[in-house]
Amino acid sequence: MSVGAGASFRSGAVGQVAFRRIERGVLGAAGVAGLVLLWQAAASLSGVPRYFFPSPRDVAGAFTVLLEKGILPAYLADSAGRYLAGIGLGTAIGLALGLALGVSRRAASMFGPLLNFFYAIVEVAWIPIFVIWWGYGLRTILVALVYVVAFPVLFNTQAAVRATPRVLIDAVRALGASPRQVLGEVIFPAALPGIITGFRVGAGFAFRGLIFAEMIAAKNGIGYLILTSAANHATDRTIAGMIVVGTVWLVIDQLYLRPFERVTVERWGVLRHAEE
Amino acid sequence: MAALPAEAGAGSVAASKITIRGLSIDYVSEDGRARHRALEDLSLEVRENEFLSVVGPSGCGKSTLIAAIAGFLRPRSGSLLLDGKPIGGPGADRGVVFQEYALLPWRTVLDNVTLGLRLRGMPRSERDRIGRQFLEMINLVEAADKYPHQLSGGMKQRVAVARTLANQPEVMLMDEPFAAVDAQSRMTLQEELVRIWSQSRLTVLFVTHSVEEAVFLGDRVAVLTPGPGRLKAMIDIDIPRRQRRWAELGNNLLFATLRQRVLDLVRGAGTPP
Repeated sequence: MSVGAGASFRSGAVGQVAFRRIERGVLGAAGVAGLVLLWQAAASLSGVPRYFFPSPRDVAGAFTVLLEKGILPAYLADSAGRYLAGIGLGTAIGLALGLALGVSRRAASMFGPLLNFFYAIVEVAWIPIFVIWWGYGLRTILVALVYVVAFPVLFNTQAAVRATPRVLIDAVRALGASPRQVLGEVIFPAALPGIITGFRVGAGFAFRGLIFAEMIAAKNGIGYLILTSAANHATDRTIAGMIVVGTVWLVIDQLYLRPFERVTVERWGVLRHAEE
Repeated sequence: MAALPAEAGAGSVAASKITIRGLSIDYVSEDGRARHRALEDLSLEVRENEFLSVVGPSGCGKSTLIAAIAGFLRPRSGSLLLDGKPIGGPGADRGVVFQEYALLPWRTVLDNVTLGLRLRGMPRSERDRIGRQFLEMINLVEAADKYPHQLSGGMKQRVAVARTLANQPEVMLMDEPFAAVDAQSRMTLQEELVRIWSQSRLTVLFVTHSVEEAVFLGDRVAVLTPGPGRLKAMIDIDIPRRQRRWAELGNNLLFATLRQRVLDLVRGAGTPP
């Protein structure tokens, strides 16, 4: 974008903002279309077998079949249920621990090293053991998801709680607030941007973790679809599943997480910055 | 009015509201390593309903004194009494106004003013009614629904004062409240504080590094020694309340004399009376 256009955006022209948004959308779509065309050309010209390198048309066909047979909707629902349960539970646990460790230095000293140790062991490394303990199925997947979500929520919450301006806490205590009121009136709202950042990171980790966990420990869901289709040489289905994964994440991130973060983090951030 | 001499602060009949005896406080840095004595064997009395200014060079422990009375930190030794009873921790009986305003950025002006009332469970309609009265007092009714970041520094500090007063404390502790405000607003705020204080007649402990401000506001001015702080001198400011406007005090001889005397004490040249 030219310097001139940047300057008019700076002066607050709403039309410019809308235009830039549309421009970004068009360019994004053009990028996707270009890639698909290239892919189609490569598949047609190379002449390798379909199962080895399916074309976009094959994948589209597989996608239609999966949709018509109801496999895709059912598997999507399976994955979505696990995902929501996992991030819900993981966020609750991470939030509670993060608040506790943020408020109490003693607790942080006691559990900090331990938590860092476990954080370093990715959930992928745990899954074989989880399978031994709980077998293939919901419980193993859920524990793995909670595991990946809880850590970023915990660490971001803890850091945000620590960063709460001391003077705000003192001010509210001098007005007669109990420790619980200090938590609710000051610490939690002040930490909210950090909590949401942690949630967003955790939601991203969990999404990747979900597909992986389903490849190992499930008998349905999108991850399972990707793995078994490839094993059965239905590579077009595998790729269809991969595209679904990417698209679903884009939708979640753009439609839910980003706006959510924007209204809270940025607004809060601006407000806090202005206060300090 | 017959009560003028007493109003001027020279009255010796008033009871002691805050009694500080032999107070020593160590300040420990954030990382817990460095430690230095902020206050050393400080004794001081704040009388009921008086406005006591505390001045001293930077690093003399003025803010530490406020934090100790507010109950934010524990003395190393000595005693701190409010109405004869030891101070154990923070409480709504001692309101604090901070240099940094300390308003909650996510709450509106009205909700900030009524914060203390909400904490003790007063219903919304009642506390909003009281909150608006205090906004009227500081001439900020129109800002009720704004957020703190939309206000100037001077307005923020008026909101902070209203928040403290709305909570009806017995003592208002003010920690360099106008230091971050521009010079013009500062003079307005000082005059407003005189007016508000005359109406409420709270006990006020006002810490500042500005000698002029201390003399302008105080019934008495306590001068602390360079750190670790102890009481160096106590000066009575016998200027009637109603004369305390900058337009009048600009060429007031008594004000100029007292200001010079306190200034000399702060800079180390003067000797205690």
